[in-house]
Amino acid sequence: MQQALMRKLESFEPLSDQARWALNRLVLKVRYVGARQDLIQEGDKPENVLLILDGFAYRYKVLPDGQRQIMALLVPGDFCDLNVFILDEMDHAIGTISACQVVDIPRQAIDEIARDHADIARAFWWCSLVDGAVLREWLVNIGGRLPPQRIAHLICELLMRLEAVGCVTDNGYAFPLTQTQIADMMGLSDVHVNRTLRDLRAQGLIHLKRRVLTILDVERLRAFCDFTPNYLHLRSTRWDDRRDLSWPGQAEES
Amino acid sequence: MSGRSNVATLLLLQLQPIEVDTNSPDREGMLVTANGLLVAVLVRLAEPEHDDVGSWFFEVGFGRLQGKKAPTFPSLEEATRWLRRHLKAA
Repeated sequence: MQQALMRKLESFEPLSDQARWALNRLVLKVRYVGARQDLIQEGDKPENVLLILDGFAYRYKVLPDGQRQIMALLVPGDFCDLNVFILDEMDHAIGTISACQVVDIPRQAIDEIARDHADIARAFWWCSLVDGAVLREWLVNIGGRLPPQRIAHLICELLMRLEAVGCVTDNGYAFPLTQTQIADMMGLSDVHVNRTLRDLRAQGLIHLKRRVLTILDVERLRAFCDFTPNYLHLRSTRWDDRRDLSWPGQAEES
Repeated sequence: MSGRSNVATLLLLQLQPIEVDTNSPDREGMLVTANGLLVAVLVRLAEPEHDDVGSWFFEVGFGRLQGKKAPTFPSLEEATRWLRRHLKAA
């Protein structure tokens, strides 16, 4: 899991040995945080940059009537806002979904590593831009797709993001989300989430058991929700000089 | 004048059984009318994987109930109590 950050950044572009060495020095002190804990709350002053090395976390906001909206999922290799320390206070909270390994990176270390390594600075920019692109896609998802496609889209997105950091085996990955969390993420009720997951299972698209989600037919699920991974801007180095967007399961064919 | 305001606050809720296509085994439903206007559809949860099978789910609301999020209700009485409270709240 220590490699999650490196793998993520290298899905953007290869890093030099010096850059890798410098990145390893960022990830020295790993903190273990239990499930369902706040990492930072709305109104807090952000001091460090948080990096998730293992587990799932999420950004959320709670409305006055208690309704929670989840705006983003953070998976291994994800920063919780790279330049957040520029802001005075958090405008939302970040909490863990499952038990997480978290690294607190001082702002000075981020400034220094970006100043000394142009490739890392570019990769950091890529991270921030992709975070924005994912947020835009989530807006499209909630505003424009029907509930079954909405949830299928999330499942496809997680496949791609987790694949990029080596957390996918045989099209399956850890899926610690509860129905209520999916509901708060997708603007649906728990009941609709339950019915939709049941329907996706009945169609032979997914299998969900013991908090592991397996996509039984990646191509059919992708077609079902018209998933286009362009917004993730993944350019995996594992497939050598392929600079186009790749899709798990297709890489070997072409 | 006081009589008129009393009439205005009267809220007659009526339930009428209806079968609902929810693309799931949850089919048994109730149309809920308030003073003759359709305000909600309740559906009884039958799919065994629901957390609260047998409860009533606020499937959809109209008018001032549109888009509301509601808990599931163990009985129709509790569901109508909730509906009445939210219909009265301006």
